[in-house]
Amino acid sequence: MLGREAALVLLDKALGYSKAQETDIYLNAQDLGLSRFAGGAIHQNVAHGNVVLNVRSVVGKRLGRATTNDLSDSGIKKAVESAHQNALLMPEDSNFIGLPPPSDAVTVESWDEATAFCSPETRAKIAHGVCLQGKEHDLNVSGACRTGVQEIAVVSSHGTRAYHAGTFAGLIINTMSDDSAGWAKGGGWRLADMDTEALGREAVGKAVDGRKPMAIEPGRYPVVLDTYAVDDILEALSLYGMGAQAVQEGRSWMNDIIGDRAMSPNVTIWDDGSATQGWPVPFDAEGMPRRRVDVITAGVINTPVHNSYTAGKDGIVSTGHQAYFTGAPIASNLFMQEGDSSLQGLIRSTERGIYITRFFYTRLAHSKGCVMTGMTRDGTFMIENGQITHPVKDLRFTQSYVDALAGVELVGRESKLVLNEVGFATRVPALKLSSFNFTGVTV
Amino acid sequence: MDDFLSRALDLASVQGASYCDVRLVETNQERFVVRSGAVDTLSNDESLGIGVRVLVNGFWGFASTNIVSAAEVDRITGLAVEIAKASAQSNNGPVSLGPPVTSRGVYTTPIQVDPFSISSEDKLGLLLESDRRMGSVKGISARTGNLIFIKEHKTFANSEDAHVEQTIYEAGGGIMATARGNGEVQRRSYPQSMRQQGCAGWEFVDAMDLVGNAERIATEAVALLSADHCPSGVTTLIVGASQLGLQIHESCGHAIELDRVLGSEAAYAGTSFLTTDKLNNFQYGSEQVNITADSVRLPGLGSYGWDDEGVPAQSTPVVENGRFTGYLTSRETAAGLDLGLKPNGSMRAASWNRIPLIRMTNVSLEPGNWELEDLIADTEDGIMMEMNRSWSIDDRRFNFQFGTEIGYEIKKGKLGKILRNCTYTGITPEFWNSCDAVCNDKLWTMWGIPNCGKGQPGQIGHTGHGAAPARFRNIQVGVMK
Repeated sequence: MLGREAALVLLDKALGYSKAQETDIYLNAQDLGLSRFAGGAIHQNVAHGNVVLNVRSVVGKRLGRATTNDLSDSGIKKAVESAHQNALLMPEDSNFIGLPPPSDAVTVESWDEATAFCSPETRAKIAHGVCLQGKEHDLNVSGACRTGVQEIAVVSSHGTRAYHAGTFAGLIINTMSDDSAGWAKGGGWRLADMDTEALGREAVGKAVDGRKPMAIEPGRYPVVLDTYAVDDILEALSLYGMGAQAVQEGRSWMNDIIGDRAMSPNVTIWDDGSATQGWPVPFDAEGMPRRRVDVITAGVINTPVHNSYTAGKDGIVSTGHQAYFTGAPIASNLFMQEGDSSLQGLIRSTERGIYITRFFYTRLAHSKGCVMTGMTRDGTFMIENGQITHPVKDLRFTQSYVDALAGVELVGRESKLVLNEVGFATRVPALKLSSFNFTGVTV
Repeated sequence: MDDFLSRALDLASVQGASYCDVRLVETNQERFVVRSGAVDTLSNDESLGIGVRVLVNGFWGFASTNIVSAAEVDRITGLAVEIAKASAQSNNGPVSLGPPVTSRGVYTTPIQVDPFSISSEDKLGLLLESDRRMGSVKGISARTGNLIFIKEHKTFANSEDAHVEQTIYEAGGGIMATARGNGEVQRRSYPQSMRQQGCAGWEFVDAMDLVGNAERIATEAVALLSADHCPSGVTTLIVGASQLGLQIHESCGHAIELDRVLGSEAAYAGTSFLTTDKLNNFQYGSEQVNITADSVRLPGLGSYGWDDEGVPAQSTPVVENGRFTGYLTSRETAAGLDLGLKPNGSMRAASWNRIPLIRMTNVSLEPGNWELEDLIADTEDGIMMEMNRSWSIDDRRFNFQFGTEIGYEIKKGKLGKILRNCTYTGITPEFWNSCDAVCNDKLWTMWGIPNCGKGQPGQIGHTGHGAAPARFRNIQVGVMK
């Protein structure tokens, strides 16, 4: 890893090469170690480090870009000049209001030394441990354990100077028998917070309980969603419409319902880049503080998140959600308000329904209402008279996620941090929904 | 630069590696994105790095760096060896790679016009004019267009004396118009969703005629706002060539990846129903279905000289007259089974900082004999669907559901009104066994899919899929209704 001083020295040097009217440079660096296991053994085991400089140059109302990971003087100069040349080639964009002004530095503690420098031996021990847990029950265990460091920094000709280094740790476990599967996923910025043995028990338990699944007829059922399935809902709502670009282009699920109570009063969702209960990143790729945005409050659809461009179009200040160098603003550290039910309470409240561990391969079928299709996977069970009675074969659903959250009857009192591979994190509770539309069953 | 490769190979051997390979990769990329009249992105992106993969006592380790220097090569080689030793803590026995790979040579994608020789002004002009024409259609709420050009220079060497050098070119582009009204949102894309992409030069984009198709797709997007919904039921379905390309990708291409079959991807992308007992012993599709995996058919995105294990590009029949006959393989998976399999050049890494995985090459449905007009005329009642809008399939590649941008009613052998929100669903072998006609090579196109996800850490693969329109009987459609 570079460290604060080296990162800012590098960026200052790059900034010094620029002849553009305005320039900002976003540094994104990662050191990753990942041990992957399948069939009860490590089969892929890797490490990589990379430092990427992302340059934006502005001439009038024109913005050019370039990226490089060649950190030699000539490599940096080339990228800076290339961004400038690209700006000169652009037509004027009347909606572009220039690079954002400097903001007060925001700091968040998300660094753990043991996680940053975790050895391959430590990851291998974790992998070996969960493989043994599965072996005791004749289960085929697969998964991945990763640890590492993410550094970001931004400097600009307007005076922005921001740096953040955070650590990450994650473990996913998939357990399989001939006719069942289980799943568990843990993660955060501190490896020691992850109870790998408990995660192993969770994944093993689902596969053991899931043996001899029965096929049930597709149709509408009440459902109890475990946190992994709820994570999928929030991720889809984020990707397909919580960003202002989608709203401005009329292809967001938010269009036409901003200000409406479109979801259950039990639903409150916000994004907060600085909250350490998630996977915090205090500023975005433009150096703007990632402000808390209350996206949905008690079922009322409030507002999307912004970068400086979309905010400029709407005449407001960026909320700091330019997650990557290019592309639309994204809400990527999402939280859902917990309720007061235990998971068992959600199940007990269900006369006849389905308990779902997680969804798989979900894709947008229609933007209006955020209609998604996907499969259940790794632990799907029938609930009858308030109890789980038997496993069921995986089902395909085609369901509006907005409508699904309109039917939230009960909310779990415990939330779980679900850290996805690309830095997208949610902290979510389990949910009981009144209705979910299943449109098929697999073999 | 060859000195760095030799240095890593020598050092790995000294440190106890029984096998080592090294890849030095330099990638140059140009990206252009236009959104509703404004240039969203004009970027030049460069990436350079080196990755070292080793086997120590039969177990894998890999490390990589973006700093190409002797000191860094030494560091990552040592790290790869350390990681391999850690892998031994949880193992099922040492890896065998089978016979050595000793390829040597140079390969460059044959192109007519170097895409990097065309000015950025000309490329932007193409997108802006397409955008203007889409915007001229009343009712369009958003327009996007994008172009991408990639030049990847890659040198591979292994401890078995292989040394290959490749320069791979890719070019791609596409446009999309979105219409909003009547409480509905609809879109149309050209030449395919996101973009069409191939291993080719500027001529590939030039031939697309983005400008000439811009107004048409915008008009269709607006017309879809008030079109009838796709009916629900079981009917005859003609799947257009572009959509069929993705159908092949999801339901055949991923299913024949032997690492998936053996469980390597179980925790992430899933496994496959095409288990090894089915090889040469399973009717995957009807007699009309012939599918080939090849890495030689340009402009497919899976075209190259050698894969990232140094195995030469080649062609493998995977479905012959409907019978399942072949996998995409690696050295390790082929050698690990007693099935007489050989590595067939399918191992690719997305970048210098990723290990090679089994990736689809150009997995294509071979053309049949039908003219499309004759196929429609031969269809009493049904629907034709084209251009992907959504896709999903289960973790064993059985249950799929696709949505398309547009559909056309077929009544008494004639195309009728357009249909919106079209979807179809099925079970993979049932679907392919219901295929009773494939169109001929006149409409056969090599589609490029530049966004195929696999592996952890994630890798984005580029794959090719040749397809012509084909007909399927008794298909469930209209799942959204």
